[in-house]
Amino acid sequence: MPLPTPFHPRTSELNHNLDWKDWGGYFAANSYDVVNDFEYYAFRHSAGLVDVTPLFKYRVTGNDASLFLSRLIVKDISKLKLNQATYCCWCDDRGMVIDDGTVMRFGENEYFVTAADPSYSWFSRLIKKLDVHIEDLTDTHCALALQGPTSRDILKNMCNADLDSLKFFWTTSANGDGFEFKISRTGYTGDLGYELWAKNEDALKLFDAVWSAGQNYNIRMSGIAALDIARIEAGLVMNGVDYHSALHALTPAQMSTPYELGLGWTVNLEREPFMGQKALKAENKNGSRWGTVGIDINWPDLEALFKKHGLPPHTDPGAWRHSVPIYDRDDLSKQIGYATSGTWSPALKKNIAMATLEIDYVKPGTEVNFEVMVEHHRETVRAIVGKPQFFNPERKRSILNK
Amino acid sequence: MSQYDIIVIGGGHNGLTTAAILAKKGKKVLVVEKRDVLGGIAAGEEFHPGYSTTGLLHDTSGVRTEAIKKLQLENHGLEFENARADVMLLSKDGKSINIQSDVDSTATAIKEFSEKDAGAYREYQAFIKKVGKVFDNLMDNPPPDIDVEHLTMASLVVLAKKGMLLKGLGNKTMMELLKVAPMCVADFLNEKFETDFLKAGLAAPALYGSYAGPWSAYSTINLLLWECASKSNVKGGPQALVDALQKAAEQAGVEIRTGAEVEKILLDNEGAVSGVRLKGGEEIHAKKVAASCTPKETFLNLFDDFEIEYELDYWIDKIRSRGTTAKVNLAINKSVQLNGKTVEYARTGNSFDEMEKAFDPVKYREVTGAPFLDIHIPTVSNPSLAPEGHSVVSILVHQIPYDFEAGWSADAKKQLGDDVLKELEIYSPGISSAVVGMEILTPADFEERYTLTEGHIFHGEHFVDQLVTRPIPSCARYTTPVSGLYLCGSGSHPGGGITCMPGYLGASMILK
Amino acid sequence: MSKKYDAIIIGGGHNGLINAAYLAKAGKEVLVLEKRHVLGGAAVSEEIFPGFTFSVCSYVVSLFRPHIIRELNLAKHGYDIIPMDASFQPLPDDDYGLCRWGDGSRSRREIARFSKKDSEVYGEFSKVMTHMAKLAKEVIDHPAPDVASINPKELASLLRMGKVFKNLGPEMLQMNTKLLTMSSADFLDLWFESEVLKGPMAVSGIIGTFLGVRSPGTAYVLLHHYMGELDGAFRSWGFSKGGTGGVSDACASAAKSFGAEIRTNVNVAHVKIKNGKATGVVLANGDEIDSKIVVSNLDPNRTYLKMIGEDNLSPNITTEIKRFKMRGSSGKVNFALSGVPNFCKKREGLDHMKGDIAVVPNVDYVEKAYDQAKYGEFSERPYINIVVPSLTDPTLAPPGKHVMSCFVQYAPFDIKEGAEHWPKLAEKFGDAVQNTIKEYVPDIDSLVEHRQVVTPWDLQETFGLTEGNIFQGELTLEQLLFQRPISGYAKYKTPIDNLWMSGSGTHPGGGIMGSGGELSAKSILKERVI
Repeated sequence: MPLPTPFHPRTSELNHNLDWKDWGGYFAANSYDVVNDFEYYAFRHSAGLVDVTPLFKYRVTGNDASLFLSRLIVKDISKLKLNQATYCCWCDDRGMVIDDGTVMRFGENEYFVTAADPSYSWFSRLIKKLDVHIEDLTDTHCALALQGPTSRDILKNMCNADLDSLKFFWTTSANGDGFEFKISRTGYTGDLGYELWAKNEDALKLFDAVWSAGQNYNIRMSGIAALDIARIEAGLVMNGVDYHSALHALTPAQMSTPYELGLGWTVNLEREPFMGQKALKAENKNGSRWGTVGIDINWPDLEALFKKHGLPPHTDPGAWRHSVPIYDRDDLSKQIGYATSGTWSPALKKNIAMATLEIDYVKPGTEVNFEVMVEHHRETVRAIVGKPQFFNPERKRSILNK
Repeated sequence: MSQYDIIVIGGGHNGLTTAAILAKKGKKVLVVEKRDVLGGIAAGEEFHPGYSTTGLLHDTSGVRTEAIKKLQLENHGLEFENARADVMLLSKDGKSINIQSDVDSTATAIKEFSEKDAGAYREYQAFIKKVGKVFDNLMDNPPPDIDVEHLTMASLVVLAKKGMLLKGLGNKTMMELLKVAPMCVADFLNEKFETDFLKAGLAAPALYGSYAGPWSAYSTINLLLWECASKSNVKGGPQALVDALQKAAEQAGVEIRTGAEVEKILLDNEGAVSGVRLKGGEEIHAKKVAASCTPKETFLNLFDDFEIEYELDYWIDKIRSRGTTAKVNLAINKSVQLNGKTVEYARTGNSFDEMEKAFDPVKYREVTGAPFLDIHIPTVSNPSLAPEGHSVVSILVHQIPYDFEAGWSADAKKQLGDDVLKELEIYSPGISSAVVGMEILTPADFEERYTLTEGHIFHGEHFVDQLVTRPIPSCARYTTPVSGLYLCGSGSHPGGGITCMPGYLGASMILK
Repeated sequence: MSKKYDAIIIGGGHNGLINAAYLAKAGKEVLVLEKRHVLGGAAVSEEIFPGFTFSVCSYVVSLFRPHIIRELNLAKHGYDIIPMDASFQPLPDDDYGLCRWGDGSRSRREIARFSKKDSEVYGEFSKVMTHMAKLAKEVIDHPAPDVASINPKELASLLRMGKVFKNLGPEMLQMNTKLLTMSSADFLDLWFESEVLKGPMAVSGIIGTFLGVRSPGTAYVLLHHYMGELDGAFRSWGFSKGGTGGVSDACASAAKSFGAEIRTNVNVAHVKIKNGKATGVVLANGDEIDSKIVVSNLDPNRTYLKMIGEDNLSPNITTEIKRFKMRGSSGKVNFALSGVPNFCKKREGLDHMKGDIAVVPNVDYVEKAYDQAKYGEFSERPYINIVVPSLTDPTLAPPGKHVMSCFVQYAPFDIKEGAEHWPKLAEKFGDAVQNTIKEYVPDIDSLVEHRQVVTPWDLQETFGLTEGNIFQGELTLEQLLFQRPISGYAKYKTPIDNLWMSGSGTHPGGGIMGSGGELSAKSILKERVI
């Protein structure tokens, strides 16, 4: 029985579809309307508002907080500047990813960490003799993601923060009407966007302020379904979908390293010891087992297959999250990997997918065969391997006050 | 170039064994011992002016001849009794049975109480003799190297050989061994014997140093291990063994530093061992370090957080080493008799129910008021350990928990002493009034004095999973995942007690 | 009387019925003889008080092998299990208690009240246990390999077990040693810190054994929770519709549909043995029925010492079978109630009551209950596993009323007054249970309309379970696998030719699994003795 988030009084009123999902033990709206394309388009054209309270949230404090997080996480967190945020992942000592999330530095010895899975146990068993305190804020703090081109304007209309100069992956404190909250320029859509963090008791004040400020900027409630489309376009991996946490995976084949997930850029190898360092150094030297890629699925091929049945081409509405086999370009009996999630990209007008491929096939431009189901028949279409990130608008990083 | 090839941490009997063997092979060896005396828990102690013990532990019957021969300890004054020392099993009603090395004499002694038991004892010892070769083989060799991930023909052959050895027992004995090994010692002995205090006394060694009562399953394994390992005592007790080992070591060129407490094992940039740092800051370099202290002490205290790999740290942390043994040393102003007899070694227990009841409180972190005792009166054979006509009564007290919930305060210790005296009064009425000095050591004191994690006299409980791959799989063959670091203490195969085998086998693996 | 059967099965418990069904399905002439008026043995439903139907002994179903359901088409014959969602642990002092649900996030929040770490470690623990369960399945679903043999077939089956560990690494191999040998409390300590949470988890290691949660050798039973398969799906526990007898009825119906004959109220005195061979059975009334083989579904003690008789056994075998430990340790108290016994009024609704309710506030509580039993007393404050199946299956009690079934441990068979004194102590034992429950349900006395106390003595006298052992023999390592019941006769055979065994006293042991009956029948058919 999931719990309502502190925004539930508002989100439930706005949900005309009664389409709820269990996200980390909370009710999360999957969509707000029967026709939910607009929830996605809001991210790209105006602003979509998502209740992301179910994210697991931790405050890490203490004299050794920087040292602790730098040991825990593959990125050197001690380099993070005050109010800066960073995306990162953490591994077990075999270099297998346990989870990914965002770390923000709110003070010399104060950090804020988000995670997809409950992480208190894992974090706290690495404290040992360090002076570190971990506080679980998951059930006491709420969060909204406001994502899309008009998101900056909306926020400027509801708080005092200097948003024109707030850079991508930086944070700032803000005051609304009678409440305080944090703003981070982060998100899961690959677009211009912000995430707002507040105490539960301020949830409705925050929501109402954003919602009313957004009315002139075509703000919409967006559900998980719309978010899924946006994050695949942006090439952002998802724990439990595109990879499995090393703590829960049953076999080595179910586990992934940061390099294999395309998160090699988050790894700072040469520094003080951190969890997984030895294994990651070896992998960096010897190579990975596979890689995570974006797949551009050939549209004319699909069209032709449908045509054989006298049908117009059909695509699933929204994103999908099941495993689809991918084969060698020339040898259909040779499976070289699998897609883990995909979508029809409304922005690119393409069928795209995120996939795990054997390392020999991950080079951009590699041609592969992608399995599709056409009118109850298994078929394959050609597809091109690329980087996972399909969509990356300039506005995501732009700042107005140079 | 460092001055030493290898540094041995801890100058107990195992540390000295390792050092001596390595030095004999031409290695430059340094032993660093925290205390001012060598020997660890094998060291004799003057616990009261003029009164000394021969060691914290006193049973030397498990010392393996393998190690002794290799070091020619006989040349350094070591003498064996050529038999297991007599042990008197004491009953609360004043009866006693003398368990001797000779089975026939023992059976005759038992016959006084039960004809059936006398016969059962012969059968029991015959069974011990048969299975003894299996245990001898296990104790005298490093544990087999089983690599489950790459089961090869070679490892299969090793396994098969072990199996054949089991087969060599004959099908009947093998099946009997498989049947009784998982049993609790109470069931095992109840099937054979009827005299309560005999059963209790025989069972007692199975429970020494283990977190178990006589009704705990698998305690039979510990009994069989002890029975098979226990062969002949060293004259003069553990301290005599330590003296011989020290001489052998020094003659072989080992350098020994006492009062030198290792604070940290040093690593180089590659994560390999580069030496040790002593308390006070002095650094001594060597490419190899052999640790005879407990595995938990080695990995959890002698490294900084995060220096060793998580996996190693994780499994070491899970080693169970809940100390359940205390020591009470008594200085007595007269000669001591137990149940009217003059004996050097004696055991109490009386009945399985009473022993089980002594264990019950341990589970709740409480202390029994009626512990069972493993008594050594060294002055019987060596009167010089006390003033003329006086005695030393040195008692290992079971089951006394390390993690006593109320804490080991001075009052709690005094209570423990009183309880032991009360118990002793049953067998030696009036002994309390003859006490002129007394030392009480709780498991917490063991930890403090001897750096025994949780006061565990065997560096980790003797239980199936911790015996098969002792202490943990990745360290089971004396090497460790830390390059250059070896284990050579009781925390390694074949385990605790005074055997010298971990030291001996550890040294042989280092030389490999 | 003239008809000669291929096989006579002594005892109409679920294993006997399954055995009969498999043999009949293979075209054999099969006769099942049951002493009582009802079938099912310990898996039985009876209307003890008018309108109240009880699962008198065994009360939940978890390990029943799914392939038996498929192969005997049991669903068609009425096999119907209602899954249990919750596992509730009431706590004294009117606490909210701890309830574990199928919903992982909900359980996590519940556990976090006691330990945040534990609430998250659950998944890692499950992962290890899933690996371990692979081996256990391998063990349960095949006859036990004979370690004494160097026959390549036996070696191959040992190797097959070994393969389960491939790629898991030495730590997992050692973990298996730990699991097989450690106490359930120590084993759980490897992961968990909350004594409250560990209480109900640890007790699953001691159910039906005369051991405590701190006794070595109890950990491996924890596995059963990770291999509990209902209908092949990974959900652990469930109620049989209409009571546990429903499982037996389905097995009986399946057996009959294949042509087996089943008679109740038939008391077998002993097996007819000629020249060391079983040739049929002799009934208590002196009648004889002949058959090619006899299958005893009774426990090893009764099979060897009563059905065969010491006269027909070598002294060695007699000694070995007498060494086989029975040692019943549990009883049942069944209540007919006028209303719902709410174990936690602080919780909304009754969902927390619809699974099992474990009265075991912490680890020490149940260990202390064991300590008392070790010295020959029943536990004054016992571990009680309670189900109120009428909340999910209203057919069991009149409308608004309920049946409450309490499995109680420890009730040692060998009580210090002597086992035969149990009948005199029964009501005192019932009172101890009711008083313990009163600590959580203050109004229990006023709800009780009837009470049935089933002591270990009753289990022996009424249900034929020697010393009241619900698993037909202790589940300790030396009594499992190739040593269940005794080495040399662990593959359902006995020293008497043509006499076979099929009960829980054979590999793989107790609980409503059906494996004994199935594997025994398959062994018989494979050897073509009939």
